[in-house]
Amino acid sequence: MTDRAQYTPGPAGGARIEKEPVQGSEDKWTLVLVRELRHSPEKVWQALTDPAHLREWAPFEADGSLATVGNTVKLTTVGAPTPQVSETKVTRADAPKALEYNWGGFDIRWELEGFRGGTRLTLWHNINRRFISMGAAGWHICLDVLDHLLGGNPIGRIVGGDAMKFDWQRLNVEYAKQFGIEAPSWPPKAAQKS
Amino acid sequence: MKIKIMSLYVDDQDKALRFYTEVLGFAKKTDFSQGPYRWLTLVSPEEPDGTELQLALNNNPAAQTYQQAMFQQSQPTAMFFTNDIKADFERIKARGAEFTMPPTDVTASIIAMLKDTCGNLIQLTQLKRY
Repeated sequence: MTDRAQYTPGPAGGARIEKEPVQGSEDKWTLVLVRELRHSPEKVWQALTDPAHLREWAPFEADGSLATVGNTVKLTTVGAPTPQVSETKVTRADAPKALEYNWGGFDIRWELEGFRGGTRLTLWHNINRRFISMGAAGWHICLDVLDHLLGGNPIGRIVGGDAMKFDWQRLNVEYAKQFGIEAPSWPPKAAQKS
Repeated sequence: MKIKIMSLYVDDQDKALRFYTEVLGFAKKTDFSQGPYRWLTLVSPEEPDGTELQLALNNNPAAQTYQQAMFQQSQPTAMFFTNDIKADFERIKARGAEFTMPPTDVTASIIAMLKDTCGNLIQLTQLKRY
């Protein structure tokens, strides 16, 4: 566990927001995170779809494989104050290239491209705009942990309250700055006007 | 040990936030998300460090059954205290809320009841002084 103790995330980077106009409403925002990994798309695919691998890095537990279209899988958010279980159906699973499912009402899409002997991994996640920098900070740490796992040096999942011990707040502020939005403050300071 | 928070199920957290701040006049205290989970609480601006009200998304079938039954039986699922129920009734009504009971004298108090637009009946209470 010394590797975990020594882990500190690097600066925020590799993320952008896609904004899609919605008639008569706020734009729909999607977080896009790109990460280059020194491992093959097949290996990354397994880590994205196999419950035993997901348990090592992802912010949820899956009770089944995400590798087959039409599979119904229960996703349980790890570290939420009360148990949050949402059932998802895998809507796209083109191994080892593209994976799509929904997590509690928000769409998730992964794309894997071969890149210099490794994989360029892209995540699209349509998080509520109010929390998009928080989501970027959380995924940043998860993808670092994934990178350690793929390298044969797992440091254990870092999600929920654990992430607070690993510079999550700094990443939240950095991503908010990069996205040109105000960082949602956490922990909260005082009552705010809505 | 302290009573610091009370949870209320709502069918839509964004809609509830608008109603409880813009119509009722409470203030947002915390708003945090982890994956699909959203922790959202309010306080009274009269008591910024007072008891918080959590607006919890009702995506639990058992809780939905409970919420609907309470609503159908005209049972409030939350109660707020005021020192001037008539003024609050007029203010909240003017902002578009639907009351199912105007301020009404009952034992030791005056109560009113309104719909929160998110599946609940809310009771306002003013204690009588003797």
